[in-house]
Amino acid sequence: MLPTQLDRLPGYFQPLPNVIVADDFDAGLNGWMDLRPNFVGAQFAAHSHEIDLEHWGPVMLSSATFAFAGTHGSASGTYSLRLPTRSPAAPPDQPPAPGSMSLAIKRLSCPAEAARIRIEAVIAYSTVQDRPGLGSEAMRAFGLFIDLQDSEHRFMPGVRFVNAVSGEPVRRWQYYRQTDSTDVDWSYGREGAWHQAGVDPQWFGVRDADGSTSATSWFDGREQRLIYNETDDKINWMPIALEFDLRSRTYVSFTAHGREYAFPPGAGPSLASPYANISGLLNPVFFVETDGDRRVDLYVDSVVVSYATDEEVAR
Amino acid sequence: MRMFHTSVTDLRQPFVETVETFPYECGWADEAIFFVTAETGTDESAQVSLGVQLSADGIRWLDEGSVLTLRGPASGFVRVTHFGGFLRLAGTVAGGTTNGATLTVRLALKG
Repeated sequence: MLPTQLDRLPGYFQPLPNVIVADDFDAGLNGWMDLRPNFVGAQFAAHSHEIDLEHWGPVMLSSATFAFAGTHGSASGTYSLRLPTRSPAAPPDQPPAPGSMSLAIKRLSCPAEAARIRIEAVIAYSTVQDRPGLGSEAMRAFGLFIDLQDSEHRFMPGVRFVNAVSGEPVRRWQYYRQTDSTDVDWSYGREGAWHQAGVDPQWFGVRDADGSTSATSWFDGREQRLIYNETDDKINWMPIALEFDLRSRTYVSFTAHGREYAFPPGAGPSLASPYANISGLLNPVFFVETDGDRRVDLYVDSVVVSYATDEEVAR
Repeated sequence: MRMFHTSVTDLRQPFVETVETFPYECGWADEAIFFVTAETGTDESAQVSLGVQLSADGIRWLDEGSVLTLRGPASGFVRVTHFGGFLRLAGTVAGGTTNGATLTVRLALKG
């Protein structure tokens, strides 16, 4: 294992002037771990019961090794962070089924002088090669978001690539927007739930059969064909980058595999009331969702989280 | 300093008759310990028998030879070394009134 060094990362990164973390998975998991619920109930029961949050697939360091191709390695080095789901999925208009997702989180704090935050990663994705053929339509979605809380609000800006729904290709990106769901609708009908509308949009909010949700808006424009090579054991590494204005709580930019996406003016995520004891948190999260009866994997190579101050933004 | 990581590969995961824990990739590690707990609620007379399995691809599995047996709600562990790229436990739940067990598996890795 090698120490984490920004100069060892793949050359896709364009961080803001101040780097908070630059995580190279050849140097280990770097604090990335499973996103699981709060075990604060009797006998360590989870705090939230609207859906099963305990059985997501466990994240792991991966060499991307396949039965016929052998070891793929990562974009730079051997290891990446692998998010593997279980299966099967629930229908797309239903809450996520137990184990149908995998989520990786890192828990940081936001520097007070940060005016803009940027998260960059190099990703690849695949369906587990457990049967002949091409598994490209078994992947429903993957994405990233940042769990943030300032002195007034908790908010979770992020993006989600809807790859396929019910086995049919979609290939379009969404962003997390201000939801119009009530708190009860958000938490699948449960009164007094822990999750306010807008919190944890990767799990909650009303879902539709076409992959829409009450937490997301589709980006304008045509579909994007991210690389899914001609067999499930050939993966290609692609960069994604999301930048967010912490002062106005609005999106700045999103790029994926060479395409820049435009946000409508003023677009931003839901602004929930603050939760106790977490002001200033900065928790980036990656997630992946299966669409059917197969396990799917999101691979994340290096991750860079960076920020700019007000003065640096003004230059 | 060596790297260390514990993954809770299966948290309060219900199994009926057949057990296959989550296939875990850990080729970076030199040694592993599976800590297994049959959770409260598992029938007192249920017998959980688990064998360590290895895999070259995380899909096709072979028995390693080490076995862990639990009866009723209980905890145990099994150590493994020189295991290649992927690990899991596979076995059965026998006896008891429900033919089932709820297992938590913590895989401690060092390398």
